[in-house]
Amino acid sequence: MRKSPVLLLALILMLLLAACTEGTSGETSTSGGSSDTKKDSLVIGFEADAGTLIANSDVNYVTDTQIRNIYDPLIERDGETGEYTPVLAEEWENIDELTWRLKLKEGVKFHNGADFNAESVKFSIDYILDEANQSFYRSRWVDVAEVKVISPYEVEIVTAKPFPSLIQRIIEDLLIMEPGYVEEVGADVAAKEPVGTGAYKFVEWSRDNYLKLEAFEDYWQGTPKIKNLEFRYIPEFSSRMSAFLSGEIDLFKNIPVDSVAEIEGAEDAKIAEVASSRINYLALNTFHEGPLQDVKVRQALNYAVDVDELLESVLNGYGTKMTGPLAEINTGYVETKDYGYDPDKAIALLEEAGYKPEELTLTLDTPNGRYPMDSHVAQAIASQLQKIGVTVEVQVNEWGNHLEKIQNREMGDMFILGWGPAFDPQSTIENLFTKEAPYSGFYDEAIEKKIYETTVLFDEKERFDGFEELQNDLVEQAAWVPLWQQADLYAVRGNLNFSPRVDEKMQAYEMSWE
Amino acid sequence: MLDFIIKRFLQVIVVVFLALTVVFFLIRLSGDPTTLFLPPDAPKEQIEEYRELLGYNRPLIVQYGDFMISAVRGDFGQSLRSQEDALSIVLSRVPATFQLAISALVLSLLIAIPLGVLSAYKRNTIFDRIAVGLTVVGQAVPSFWLGLILIYIFAAQFKILPSGGGGSLVHMLLPTLTLAAYSVARFTRFTRSSMLDILRNDYIRTAKASGVPPSRLIMKYALKNSLIPIITLVALDLGVLLGGAVITEVVFSWPGIGRLLMQSLMNRDFPIVLAGVFIIALIYAVINFIADILYAYVNPQIRVK
Repeated sequence: MRKSPVLLLALILMLLLAACTEGTSGETSTSGGSSDTKKDSLVIGFEADAGTLIANSDVNYVTDTQIRNIYDPLIERDGETGEYTPVLAEEWENIDELTWRLKLKEGVKFHNGADFNAESVKFSIDYILDEANQSFYRSRWVDVAEVKVISPYEVEIVTAKPFPSLIQRIIEDLLIMEPGYVEEVGADVAAKEPVGTGAYKFVEWSRDNYLKLEAFEDYWQGTPKIKNLEFRYIPEFSSRMSAFLSGEIDLFKNIPVDSVAEIEGAEDAKIAEVASSRINYLALNTFHEGPLQDVKVRQALNYAVDVDELLESVLNGYGTKMTGPLAEINTGYVETKDYGYDPDKAIALLEEAGYKPEELTLTLDTPNGRYPMDSHVAQAIASQLQKIGVTVEVQVNEWGNHLEKIQNREMGDMFILGWGPAFDPQSTIENLFTKEAPYSGFYDEAIEKKIYETTVLFDEKERFDGFEELQNDLVEQAAWVPLWQQADLYAVRGNLNFSPRVDEKMQAYEMSWE
Repeated sequence: MLDFIIKRFLQVIVVVFLALTVVFFLIRLSGDPTTLFLPPDAPKEQIEEYRELLGYNRPLIVQYGDFMISAVRGDFGQSLRSQEDALSIVLSRVPATFQLAISALVLSLLIAIPLGVLSAYKRNTIFDRIAVGLTVVGQAVPSFWLGLILIYIFAAQFKILPSGGGGSLVHMLLPTLTLAAYSVARFTRFTRSSMLDILRNDYIRTAKASGVPPSRLIMKYALKNSLIPIITLVALDLGVLLGGAVITEVVFSWPGIGRLLMQSLMNRDFPIVLAGVFIIALIYAVINFIADILYAYVNPQIRVK
């Protein structure tokens, strides 16, 4: 056995070799919060890697948030008010029900020096529409028949049928790619080394590790204040938290409400909060054979759930109560009736419907960790309903399974779901209250008819009125127990100027160091 | 000998094949992935269309057949999310995982062998009791907990080590320690008991009686004999370490194959999951294959059986 030290030595050598392979030559100062040297760089902690860096392909929020620093949209929402603001498009109008014309900004350059123009817009939309590219956005764009280049800075989008929510699609989905570059290097390379007109240029992408970007000097809105931007991927929340406390990352999102105090108590750290456009609700599933097909039972549940108490005791007050299907930030929002908390009325309504509360057992499905305190909220709702005698069996699902159960109409009586970013009434109402929509939990013939009459309306006033009526009907029909707009909570380095956006985006261009 | 090698090699193929089959059907139980990739407002027809495009609408057995035929050719399809070749994505993460597993293995041996030898030699002393106590703790502590505690102490509190990420030696320290904890405990216990067995032998007593000094007795007479079973254990544990890296990689944001698998499983990126399982099963089976061959080479009795 003289060989065993040799074996050991060999293993140590292997270790050293392995350790010297990748990444060691690069940066070494990743630990420690040296706030002096990082005045021009920002590290954002992220839960997952981007799926791809090519625009217009992956619907995932994680991908979108990162690449929006590289690519610009044509139009966006104001970070605070949610109103439409021009970006690469200066003006837009619809000429008739099937035609939209957009006037584009001149003098905008891509990172590789190419000019932004109408061709880039046509290319980017065609990229979504081309089946070969397998864009997961295509489902939202199939009604677009053609994109016409009218002049170098004018495009016309022709739709196959009226498409009143096209502007929303442009805002939420479309990012502008450089046609010359993609054609030259191919989509595979463009997906790893992206070129856009955005505030940051691509530097390096180490899969499951980090994405490094640098300020684009010729950015049309002016050079960004923060020179170096890095997204660092840390899947586990506790690890993200430690990385923030140790100064390795400066900013990260989705702080659980029970960790807020720890961050606020930490040195050189603050919490930023905004009422998100993402809403959480308890669906009262009418697809499931059972008592919830009776409107009186659904109304009873609205009276029996005390949303204020849930907000206060489970969410520590982080959230904005809703009473109807739309949040205040939504363009179609109107104030609707608040059922309030009235257990006696709940019992009376159940009895009217022919049920003794004590004999009623309902199921409640919830994801775990997808929305703030979701499974805790479910438990709290169960105990509130227990107070009027109704037994609730809470079922906690893995996220993918939860979605699948909704789609396959395998859900029981109630389920918790979130929806967002929800800015326009159509997306919420059409997708959550119709018979065929995958994530719907409610169907009523008369309401569905009204929905389809409203979504095709072009006149803004008529459209608004239509959605107003629908909101009231849905509250009257007690399709949900509406819960709240989520509070988006961010952990922020003390001297970083950062105001969270209602649309969950993280635009480093809007941030700076004090 | 050749007969034996061929037989064992066929076993490798069977193991990999079975692993792929089981995982193929298991992940399908969680449903098809189409809807997780499409926007939530995608209408039913669109979902159907993508299902067809990706082939998830065909009977499961047909999908399985197609998958196996392509897999034999090394084609595991494209990642659903990034549309890159699934096998290449997985292979690109292998070095990081190996780096972690091998350094954890080396660290375990460096700690465990001296510790095991000493506690066997000083049997039933305070030292032995503490060492044995520590091994119990080492085997019982879940690695995600240990990892988080280490991060909390060294990264968040003292700020002397990074909390995670890939790259330099400094980045490796905490994950290696975390991953090694279980193996240290296992190896120590094994070394100790193997050493105790040897120390009971007549030739040791004879050597002792003839005045061989204790250090020489242990190093020259006892240790080398007690190490033989450890070597088998090392081969087996390398496989365990590669698999055990999943949790450690997630906690420490280590860009290896385990973390990729975890993420892909959550995303229902089936081609990556299957390519990953293929690679892990293959490595595991091949390591065992090599260990068996070596063992057979050293000990002809095994070949005869």
